[in-house]
Amino acid sequence: MKNKLFILLLIVFALSCKKEEYVFDQSPDQRLNEALTKYQAALTSSPTGWKATVEPRAGGVYHYYFQFNSENRVFMFSDFDTTTARIRGESSYRLKALQQPSLIFDTYSYLHLLADPDAAVNGGSYGEGLSSDFEFTFENASEDSIVLTGRVNRTKLKLEKGTQADLDAWQNGVWLSILSFLNIQKIEHYFRRLTLGGNTYEIAVDPVGRIIRFQWVSGGILQTFTTGFSFSSNGVVLDSPLVNGSQTIETLSDFSWNQVAQTLQLSSGGLNGSITGAAAPLRVDLQAPQRWWQQAVTADSYWFSPQGFSTTGATDLFDIRSLDRYYYFIYWPGFSVDSDDLFAPIFLNETNDGLELQYGAAPEPGFTGDGKVIFDYLGMYGSYPSSGPALQSLQQLLIPEGYYLVQTGAATYDMVSAKDAKTWISWRLAQ
Amino acid sequence: MKQFLVIVVLLLTLASCDREDPLNVDDIPGLGGDTWVKSDLDHWLFDSITQPYNIAVKYKWDQFELEINKTIVPPKEEKIIPVMRTIKKVWIDPYLAEGGKVFFNKYSPKFFVLAGSASWNLDGSITLGTAEGGRKVVIYQLNEYLNKTMPGYTPKDSAVAKQMFHVIEHEFAHILDQNIRRPIEFDAVSAGFYTADWINTWDAEARRDGFITAYALSKNSEDFAEMISIMLIEGKSGFDHIVNSITGTSIRGTTPEVAKERLRQKEALVVNYFKKAWDIDFYSLQSRKRAAIVSELY
Repeated sequence: MKNKLFILLLIVFALSCKKEEYVFDQSPDQRLNEALTKYQAALTSSPTGWKATVEPRAGGVYHYYFQFNSENRVFMFSDFDTTTARIRGESSYRLKALQQPSLIFDTYSYLHLLADPDAAVNGGSYGEGLSSDFEFTFENASEDSIVLTGRVNRTKLKLEKGTQADLDAWQNGVWLSILSFLNIQKIEHYFRRLTLGGNTYEIAVDPVGRIIRFQWVSGGILQTFTTGFSFSSNGVVLDSPLVNGSQTIETLSDFSWNQVAQTLQLSSGGLNGSITGAAAPLRVDLQAPQRWWQQAVTADSYWFSPQGFSTTGATDLFDIRSLDRYYYFIYWPGFSVDSDDLFAPIFLNETNDGLELQYGAAPEPGFTGDGKVIFDYLGMYGSYPSSGPALQSLQQLLIPEGYYLVQTGAATYDMVSAKDAKTWISWRLAQ
Repeated sequence: MKQFLVIVVLLLTLASCDREDPLNVDDIPGLGGDTWVKSDLDHWLFDSITQPYNIAVKYKWDQFELEINKTIVPPKEEKIIPVMRTIKKVWIDPYLAEGGKVFFNKYSPKFFVLAGSASWNLDGSITLGTAEGGRKVVIYQLNEYLNKTMPGYTPKDSAVAKQMFHVIEHEFAHILDQNIRRPIEFDAVSAGFYTADWINTWDAEARRDGFITAYALSKNSEDFAEMISIMLIEGKSGFDHIVNSITGTSIRGTTPEVAKERLRQKEALVVNYFKKAWDIDFYSLQSRKRAAIVSELY
């Protein structure tokens, strides 16, 4: 009996003495350090760099090319725009143990263009940008590929080991030639038409937001189709195909830009087509001019444009910003006590702490039945200059052909010359 | 004998049960802060800002220094030196000249965090600067920063730079106030007018009640910091211009004469405070600051 008890005791002690052990051989910190070292080595292991795709939450696929060195510097190309596809950018990166081993692009780079909360940078939304990331956690890393996920927006970043040929494709301008699709932004006309297989589309491309809008008339009705697009080594790929009766457009490729003719030749689905300028919208928004004028009156406010009149080649056609202390141009419907309108440049005052009106013109808008507004000259406030950018802007406003108004947002309009659609001014409502 | 054996076994097993420390804490990654290979920029910041003025500048991304629920991006490297150079010229140098290095290094905020974009708020407005506890100042929108020597500068860009100075001067004013309290008379000037509803008030309406900005309405200590900040960045003539351009009676019934009188009283109290508390000639400091801003922006 005593023997049995003794054995039992032994067993109990033996069991209670079983030490807790790590599931792994090493402590969490040792393993974390090991992982960081391993990932650091992986990133710098490819002297010719990494091909990368980035998929922001807002949609679209962007191509990048990264080269990491061992001194926390990263060099990159991107198909974000023609500059980032051409000029190699340099910025900083580091690996850090956050909740998981993480790769952080820690100063501004081409990658941050997607994440920038300023919509003016990437065509996304204000405060969010394209909902992209620049802090990533490692999902897995093999010899030839590394997969990462953004820490905030779950952006997918896939790296694939690049060859010298892949790097050369960026350095020698192959990607640039695909991005030559964006040359259509050089077309002088505000309105741009795609002709393909007997069909005509008005197209508007947002090159940074990667959005393309097609408009066409079918059965007497204006149809609109808007979709995202991405670049590939074969051309421009639409996120979802455009279907117009028997015609389906999925990709655009084989671009050839003729600067003199202002025409981009291309092919799509075995057909040859072209994109070129047009002097008038495919379908005029007849009520837009009155809506534009009335909106400022209703809001008891005015329209402003920092850049003044623009053309494709010049965002400030008359160099209005060269005027001393110039702030912005305004159009103020019903400004004066007699409810006359005001068209004037506004200036920073002498003490730099306020704005002032030095002089202005009083145009009288006339709204035509075919959807234009034509401005007549009523008179001036103060003494309007008899030369220079201010006068040129006024003369431009008063062209007898008038303007189309194109609503571009809740409180933004583009006012496009009805003479040839080669000059316009972008108005924003002050509020 | 058997009992003896049992005791021996017991002792042995107890002794062997002395457990090891559960975690090896020898080598925690990142303990002691982030490290990276120092660039010329890091050396410049250390030599020009950190070493002489005891101010650390963090420009590399660290989400935890910023509002974690906002989309913000880090600054462009090429903007950092121009911005810090301007801050030195506008904020540091005039205080050094008027207050001395011991004064400045003792009270200055010790930690600057730089962000490339603004911080967008839900209502569509943007935050251009924040500060915490008199130690840390966050400056946003560095990527938009332009001064008159940079290509593409237009006077409209001065708004970004001025906002930056506004935040820094405001926070520094708080630190001074927390070390030697503002005069009690200052709180009395606008007593009863402070309101949490400042956020729905325009600057112009706040001025009709004798406040320099809408934020000054929030409480007396903010009023004090806003007064100092606006007076310094707008200069004497800019401040006079603001005061003199007050017209109309406020919603709460303050006449323009009373509003102007209150702002003038606050101005005098600020000037007096700087002399008595810190032995600084405020008007001289003000003209130095304004001259530095003008040379950068206009």
